[in-house]
Amino acid sequence: MSANFILVQVMNGLSFGALLFLLASGFTLVFGLMRIVNLAHGALYLAGGYVGIVTVAATGSFFLALLAGAVAAAGIGVITERFLLRRVRGNELPEVLLTVGIAFVIGDLALAIFGGNPQSLQAPELLSGALSFASFGYPRYRLFMIVLALAIGLGLYVVQRKTRIGAIMRAGVDDREMTGMMGINVDRVFAGMFLFGSALAGLAGVAAAGQLTMRPGADTDILLFALVVVIVGGLGSVEGAAVGSILIGLIDSFARVWIPELSYFAVFAPMALVLVLRPQGLFGMPE
Amino acid sequence: MSRLTALVLSAAGLGAVYAAPYVLPSFVISLITLVFISGLVAMSINLLAGEAGLVSIGHAGIAAAASYGIAWATLNGMGVGSRVLLALGLALVVSAVFGLTTMYTRGIVYLMISLALGMVAYGLALRLSGLTGGQNGLTGIVRPDFVDLWWQFYFFTAAIFVLALLAIWVMRRSPFGLTLRAVRDSETRAASLGYSVAATKFIATMLSGLLAGIAGVLAVWNSEFISPAAASFARSAMAVVMVILGGTGTLFGPLAGAAVVVGAEHWLSSYVERWPTLLGLAFIAVVIFMPKGLIGQLPRRLRPETDRPQKPAESIEPEATTHTSA
Amino acid sequence: MQKTGYAANNVPRTEVPTQGKELMLKRNNRPIRGFTLSLLLAVVALVAAACGTPGDDGAATTATTSAAAPDTTAAATPDTTTGGTETTEPATDSTAAAGDGTVTVGFISPTTGFVAALGTDMQRGWEMYWEQNGDTAGGVTVETVFEDDAGDPEIALTKARRLVEEEQVDIVAGPILANTAYAVAEYVAGQGIPTLHITAADDLTQREADPHVLRVGYTSSQTNFPAGQWAFEQDHQTAVTLCPDYAFGWESCGGFVSAFTESGGEVVEQIWHPLGTQDFSTYVTQIQSTAPDVVFIGSAGGSDAIQLFQAWSDFGMAGTIPMIGNCCFADQVFLREVGAEAMGAVKSFTYWVEGRDSEEVQAFVSAYEDAHGEIPSLYAAGSYMMARVVAEALATTGGQVNGSEFIDAARGVSLDNSLYGPLEFDDYNNVVGPVYVTDIVEREDGTLWAVVDETFEDVSQFWNKSPEEYMENPVFTRDYQGN
Repeated sequence: MSANFILVQVMNGLSFGALLFLLASGFTLVFGLMRIVNLAHGALYLAGGYVGIVTVAATGSFFLALLAGAVAAAGIGVITERFLLRRVRGNELPEVLLTVGIAFVIGDLALAIFGGNPQSLQAPELLSGALSFASFGYPRYRLFMIVLALAIGLGLYVVQRKTRIGAIMRAGVDDREMTGMMGINVDRVFAGMFLFGSALAGLAGVAAAGQLTMRPGADTDILLFALVVVIVGGLGSVEGAAVGSILIGLIDSFARVWIPELSYFAVFAPMALVLVLRPQGLFGMPE
Repeated sequence: MSRLTALVLSAAGLGAVYAAPYVLPSFVISLITLVFISGLVAMSINLLAGEAGLVSIGHAGIAAAASYGIAWATLNGMGVGSRVLLALGLALVVSAVFGLTTMYTRGIVYLMISLALGMVAYGLALRLSGLTGGQNGLTGIVRPDFVDLWWQFYFFTAAIFVLALLAIWVMRRSPFGLTLRAVRDSETRAASLGYSVAATKFIATMLSGLLAGIAGVLAVWNSEFISPAAASFARSAMAVVMVILGGTGTLFGPLAGAAVVVGAEHWLSSYVERWPTLLGLAFIAVVIFMPKGLIGQLPRRLRPETDRPQKPAESIEPEATTHTSA
Repeated sequence: MQKTGYAANNVPRTEVPTQGKELMLKRNNRPIRGFTLSLLLAVVALVAAACGTPGDDGAATTATTSAAAPDTTAAATPDTTTGGTETTEPATDSTAAAGDGTVTVGFISPTTGFVAALGTDMQRGWEMYWEQNGDTAGGVTVETVFEDDAGDPEIALTKARRLVEEEQVDIVAGPILANTAYAVAEYVAGQGIPTLHITAADDLTQREADPHVLRVGYTSSQTNFPAGQWAFEQDHQTAVTLCPDYAFGWESCGGFVSAFTESGGEVVEQIWHPLGTQDFSTYVTQIQSTAPDVVFIGSAGGSDAIQLFQAWSDFGMAGTIPMIGNCCFADQVFLREVGAEAMGAVKSFTYWVEGRDSEEVQAFVSAYEDAHGEIPSLYAAGSYMMARVVAEALATTGGQVNGSEFIDAARGVSLDNSLYGPLEFDDYNNVVGPVYVTDIVEREDGTLWAVVDETFEDVSQFWNKSPEEYMENPVFTRDYQGN
């Protein structure tokens, strides 16, 4: 097995990890602050993806598509939070059922509107084809995914560490009640966070539509991966989501070459292992 | 609800169950049979979720283990008794794996480990095609003679369901049931009172697994067919949905939830093209208007005495973080 | 380790007193009497069930004792069927006499769920046949009841039961996935009702062939035997295969691999990918580094096919290593998404070719395009063919549907030209017909479609062996690829 082969596989793992990070970061932020296991996160990804495909078809602009997908998903997210989730806040199981219901509705309406055939969007010329390095070529679109994930990740890091909003977010993750008592409008923080998490899901959907396809069931398939990432990394932790994405991306990539017999559950075994040995995940906060 | 009304109602309920095959067409009876079977799976999850605060999204894997056990034993010509023993044994082995890996966890961690194990079970069902028939599944898993006819199987399933209901009722009132709830409400306190929290959870998982296994046996007898779809994430998740829909911790909630979900998937879908949307809207409506579930939200006087929702919601909190080694 | 972790939990934390403790204290014997009474009631129910042997209650008379007994509708139980579409037939006879002039077909396909696209196409193809040719055949009117199975075998089975018991259908057509097909065929054939499929699972018409089950399509491996032979004839010495890791993939690859190696080629690597793989780059890289003469793709189509080819072309592989696809890889769904890069990059071996130079095919394609705005897929064409075979068989039997006799009549259908080309059936109820080698080209209006390059005539599901010889071997699996 040549060094080139391994290098390309590493890149494959990283680019898939990048997609997982886009999806997982929004999921983990929402969970960290609001303690909501948002099973509609995949549906928001799907909705964003379809909106992106339509936008590219109509305008030809990939950038607009990214924007439209994020805005559409954020819109659905805001409605969900403001009119539904807020009514049952704090009841975890009903919240889960609620998000499942939303996922059902979005998924089925998407089927009714866009049909069941898998669809993808046409990547812009600039991102098509392969970029040649010294000894191998690598697809530009996958490099773009990595760059996009890096940018989002860095942005999140800076916001979390250096801004007031970030400080409120971190405070909320650590102790919701106390944050409220400090005079922070928790309702607004929650709404803002849910909006942001949804927007990230929509963005991930558009980005993914350039490489994967949108179709019925694509939401649950990818959501399972995102769940694994979030659990391995530690719920509520953006750093954890980053490390988890890279790890799961790499494991997925190499396991399918080296232990193809186990490819159906290659990513679930490490997850179980992490959970048994370190239940809070790699970066989960100890109490 | 007074004891008298409760008795009258349960008698009426049993009477209805008994009379159903005489007045309803066979297809409707087969649907009700399916509701009972799905209700049993949901009940097994409810046993953990309601009493112990442990929500499992992997129980389809346990039920499927029993189904595959029956399938294999039937196709290899084993007798009815050994078939059932093998199937339940398999379900218990899988439950033991669930139990051993989860006995020190709770909340979201329990949920996620069960999800992972469920996915592994699904993967195995696909992968071990020599035994499981892979994606194609296994056909020709005939029911034993004594439940060969549709109405015989209906009565059999109904009887098992009623027995399971009673067993759970008794369990909830037994010292073990109380220990379980003590563990759910405060592991710290239960432990300081001298209970072994891990052992309690393990036993609860085994009991729940046994119930899921029984449901798995009935499921494969119902369809006389098994494929990995029976162990899929969707199946596990829908069973959890049934529990929450009906009301976590209630005695009859799983049955009510199963009736809604099975009704939508198997009956409504014949008449309404966009049935998944309706089902999703139903979930949302229940959460908004009846957050304690269909049964949990019933007015007190209409609710069976034993059926108060049992403060289940804590379960999702990631309290497992307290398990870090000090 | 966990033990110590657990011990840490014993440190008392401040908690609100909860119900658990109260319950523990309140435990007493109050409920026991209620319990005993309920138990008694349950025992009564159990006894009722156990003693309910035929003869002493109403439900009993519906017995379907012998395996082949076709009578399933509850003759003795009052029938409170809900639907208004119910046909009035003598309840004692499952076979549809042409008496009331109607034959009802139950059509099961997934119109929701992850394979919703296939189910929708199937319905359209089926409906189109009756619209074009009228809904009478053999002197009877053909009615269809459509059912959605959501791609789930359990739901498919319920729907089959409803169709048989409530709608009292005479024929069942449909389920497309291997597991839904097997689940339904098992039950419906057991009721003595003929079923038609286009699903590809080999054994449905081989080792598990049933006189009530007819496939109006090709097995998974059938079109790929010619592919293996053809690949070697093109001077490809080495091949890599990439197929999904389940029965359809094993059988598709098995056809190619067995014929390719028998011809003298060498399969250097067989890659199996999980169903629903998201990221195919790993496999593309693997094939790249193995650098075989040809790569064979046995895909079930849909998103897997598109995502695979997108990764393939992203890595600059399109047009480098020749790619051979099975029936379902480079279909219309695929072409709509991957676009012009597929031209010249893929040869397909299939039986439905939308660009085939045939009046029949082109009439169907243009009618379908007018109605639905897209070129029909294999699933639409397959269902159209199912309808045609039903109509031809009804014409033969004079509108009678008599269990396996109907399938016998259907098996006797022989068409000089059809959407698949000249076609007949073998003794195991499977199509014997042409397999086309196709190229992807641009139609006049710029749409991509497949056209025929070469034709293998009269390809049987048993390829170059006799059925007996062929079926001595096990069905193709990951571990058995015909060598």
